[in-house]
Amino acid sequence: MSKGFATNRLSLLAVGVVMCFMTVAVRLVYLQAVDRDELLRFVDKARRQIVVEHARRGAILDARGNLLATSRSELTVAVDPWALVEYLEIEKRPERRAQRAAEETAKHARLAELLGLPVAAVEQAFVPAMRAIKPEDDTRDGQVDGKVKDRWVKLCEGVDEPTFDRITALNIRGVTHERVYRRVYPGGALAAHVIGYLNREGTAVAGAEHKLDLYLKGQDGWIESEKDGARRELAQFRSREVPAQDGDDVVLTIDSVVQQIVENELKNIAATFQPQFATIIASDPMTGAILGMANYPTFDLNAYNKAPLAAQRNYAVTDIIEPGSVFKIVAAGAALNEGLVTPQSTFDCGITTIDYEGRTIKLPKEDEPFGMLSVAGIVAHSSNRGAAQLAMRLGDERFYEYARRYGFGETTAFALGGEVRGILEPPAKWDGLTISRMPMGHSVAATPLQVHMAMSAVANGGVLLRPQIIKEIRDSNGALVRRFGPEKRAQVLKPSTAATLAQLLTGVVREGTAKGFDIPGFEVAGKTGTTQILVDGKYSTTHHVASFVGFFPASRPEVVLSVIVDDGHVPTGGTAYGRVVAAPAFKHIAEQLIQYLDIKPVLPNPGRFLAMQGGAR
Amino acid sequence: MKPPPAHAFVNRLIGLTLVLLIFSGSLGLGAVWMRQEISQAANRGRLLEVKMADVERRLDEVNAQVAAAVNPDALLRQNQVMRLGLLSPREIQVVRVGESPELRLAAKRNREVFNVATASISDEANPPAFHVLTTALR
Repeated sequence: MSKGFATNRLSLLAVGVVMCFMTVAVRLVYLQAVDRDELLRFVDKARRQIVVEHARRGAILDARGNLLATSRSELTVAVDPWALVEYLEIEKRPERRAQRAAEETAKHARLAELLGLPVAAVEQAFVPAMRAIKPEDDTRDGQVDGKVKDRWVKLCEGVDEPTFDRITALNIRGVTHERVYRRVYPGGALAAHVIGYLNREGTAVAGAEHKLDLYLKGQDGWIESEKDGARRELAQFRSREVPAQDGDDVVLTIDSVVQQIVENELKNIAATFQPQFATIIASDPMTGAILGMANYPTFDLNAYNKAPLAAQRNYAVTDIIEPGSVFKIVAAGAALNEGLVTPQSTFDCGITTIDYEGRTIKLPKEDEPFGMLSVAGIVAHSSNRGAAQLAMRLGDERFYEYARRYGFGETTAFALGGEVRGILEPPAKWDGLTISRMPMGHSVAATPLQVHMAMSAVANGGVLLRPQIIKEIRDSNGALVRRFGPEKRAQVLKPSTAATLAQLLTGVVREGTAKGFDIPGFEVAGKTGTTQILVDGKYSTTHHVASFVGFFPASRPEVVLSVIVDDGHVPTGGTAYGRVVAAPAFKHIAEQLIQYLDIKPVLPNPGRFLAMQGGAR
Repeated sequence: MKPPPAHAFVNRLIGLTLVLLIFSGSLGLGAVWMRQEISQAANRGRLLEVKMADVERRLDEVNAQVAAAVNPDALLRQNQVMRLGLLSPREIQVVRVGESPELRLAAKRNREVFNVATASISDEANPPAFHVLTTALR
């Protein structure tokens, strides 16, 4: 071999190597400079991902910590039939492939059983099919024919986690899923109007769900990272991470058991009297905390989409009624509070007309004839003429002022909203008869909650409180975020007047319009109400709003209870008076609440001093 | 002074190059090992997060089931289905104890233990100024 040949070979090799390097360099320049932006976009799109971490919505609990609303994961199970085809195609031996196919078919029957579907429906889902798409979008399978493999055939929605675990254990080829969070209401219809619900789109529609959405919903987080070819996250490439902040839990003042007692009674009322609507409210008079609030008709929160809109209304705050004789607490309380009368002051309730401010006014009718009645008798027997005379003693302005102080004509500031103000016109807009009709609860309209809170003011020593429905807000770790205490709105009566009026109201069940509905030892104080309903502009004689609003024990009230029944029909015929329709329900609920809330009876005063001796140190 | 031979310098250069190669190789391998460890730790963390989310999900599921099982309506239904006949008590059935049950039980136990007996005269109109108590341990 000559030396020149060797030199040429080395030169050729060197040129070859240089050429290779040049090629690599040119390619690098091409990739790094010319195509850089496009390639970066591609890589970014292919590898980078932003995963949204959904915050868990807070729960709604009752005052004792029982779950009223919570979030639960549910799965939508679907089938990718092509995955099964590809799995079988991997196996080249026909007999082994047939064996695999048989094994999978056997699993499909078990899958159908778990999902509660016919086997044929499941088998049909596993038949591979093509799906039509827009040709311009058809870049997935390399053939631009406007068709792609259908890899999502939905089998079943709303599958729970335990069932899905059993499906996963079967290891069926081609079964896929999507996990979604759904709101569940373990109590079904329990406190439906108070809790409200989330619709399928996740929008809070009504009640606490809607009003407290800001607390409940939390804040979604997100993770910016990269993914591999199988779309799995490459956690080591996480560049930014904002953790999700779970929603706060909302604790209501509602007590599930009280709510259940109230709702059961509403069912009885509905079954017996077939009313248009009915409302029962129970609360603590000292704090204004609502223990139970229920309406008829109602609906199941888990099936809200099947409920008519009328059933979704919280009648306790959205609808107004004429309060009827319950409104007599305004005239009686005001006259006592102003010192114009005492419980023993008497009025002639047999007269039909009376002179008032230079005019002769016709007094309203009575349900039964009365003669001379004391103020105590007027309250107990619900004398319309007596109440009118009490209001006349006060005069238009003062009577109106007291009606306002009781909370009529303005919203109660109910935290869940949706309430109306009711109707209470100022004296300037009154006609000549209003001063004689309003004291008996006509010419005025109020929501059941307004009537309830007015009675609550009598029970708690004359203080008008804001109704409390939210007890507290807790974060996802259980730490207290905010507590809601009693809120005083007005001092309606002096405490001594309120106590006197409370004692007068015990006469209603002892000897008055609700005689026989007393609970011995528990001093039930209350007021019946029966109002004719306006039908086509006239007061109907066959349609009534019946109510009984009261509290017990009168000397140390622990529960205020309102039963209001709109247009109930007495099965045996006759007028749907408050004592017929509402008072029995009041008594039945009260008897149950006494046991559940451990309300102690009021010991009779023996009229002498009791010497007590204590010994324990 | 005699200069060092050229091949000794070359040897030293080769040696240094080798050391440099080993050092940089070690650094490179170390970096790769470290990245691998970071990757594994990150993935372990991610798996733990997934596992925690799964546990929380299952906890929510169980909580929802428990809440549905113990809500008053469900319990009333169970009462009917199982024919337990459970009813809330009526006031007439309730005996309210005004005194402290602990003190009452303690007094009863003391009476049993010390076998307390009292001696006094029978003339109730003129009671004595004091009672004579005798006790005996059992």
